[in-house]
Amino acid sequence: MGISDIPILSMLRTRLEWSQARQRVLSENVANADTPGFHARDLTPLKFEEPAMLAPRNVPGVTLARTDGGHIAGIPSPGDGDFRSRPHPGYSVRPTGNAVNLEQEMMKVAANQIDYQAVTTLYSRSLGLIKTAVGKR
Amino acid sequence: MDFYKTLAIAASGLRAQAGRMRIISQNIANADSTPSSPGADPYRRKIPTFEVEFDRALGTNLVELGRVQTDSTDFRLKYEPGHPAADNNGNVKYPNVNSLVEMTDMREAQRSYEANINVVSATRRMLQRTIDILRA
Repeated sequence: MGISDIPILSMLRTRLEWSQARQRVLSENVANADTPGFHARDLTPLKFEEPAMLAPRNVPGVTLARTDGGHIAGIPSPGDGDFRSRPHPGYSVRPTGNAVNLEQEMMKVAANQIDYQAVTTLYSRSLGLIKTAVGKR
Repeated sequence: MDFYKTLAIAASGLRAQAGRMRIISQNIANADSTPSSPGADPYRRKIPTFEVEFDRALGTNLVELGRVQTDSTDFRLKYEPGHPAADNNGNVKYPNVNSLVEMTDMREAQRSYEANINVVSATRRMLQRTIDILRA
């Protein structure tokens, strides 16, 4: 059992991946803030009640090569998550057909950063719990 | 890793806005460039365009400066009979550059540039937090 199979850590990891993917989508929005016909996008919120969100995603990750049947299979490391993104309706569309609200995107970037910070703190706290259990503290 | 893609996208935004600034500065510098021969056309205002470009290596959409287009509005006419570039009626064509429009455009480019810089620093902080897990 790998350390990432511990439920809380795998949940936090999913959340971190989601934040990373969201940051990418938001940066696309900001970079295209002046591109004609561009509509801002955002990820669908991460819901842990939906089991589909937690199921391992079919993304080819990096695994250890096994040259002999007796070797232990490595734990596949996750690739980039494929979270669903959807266009989110903007408040205003400019005459060029661009619907990016820069202020709104900046708020989202800041919120995303704070969320990420919270999750990384939780992650290291959870690691601390394991360390306590192991007794090396 | 998504963070590197994020940084690449923000960098493409910075590049596009810098290119836009270059064109705006060209317009402002040439705001009074009169034609070289009588009756000829002076400097024509240039307009930057942006387009979405799919980057195959990264697998994401970047932004790029598209083809630079020219403004088709009429030139400003000034009555200056003594000017070397004046036509038979004594009129000189001045570029169709409006400094006020260029200035507001420049401010807008500046704001967009800053927004991209903001994304870069937010992403950098997030990366730092990831590395901090190792230290805990």
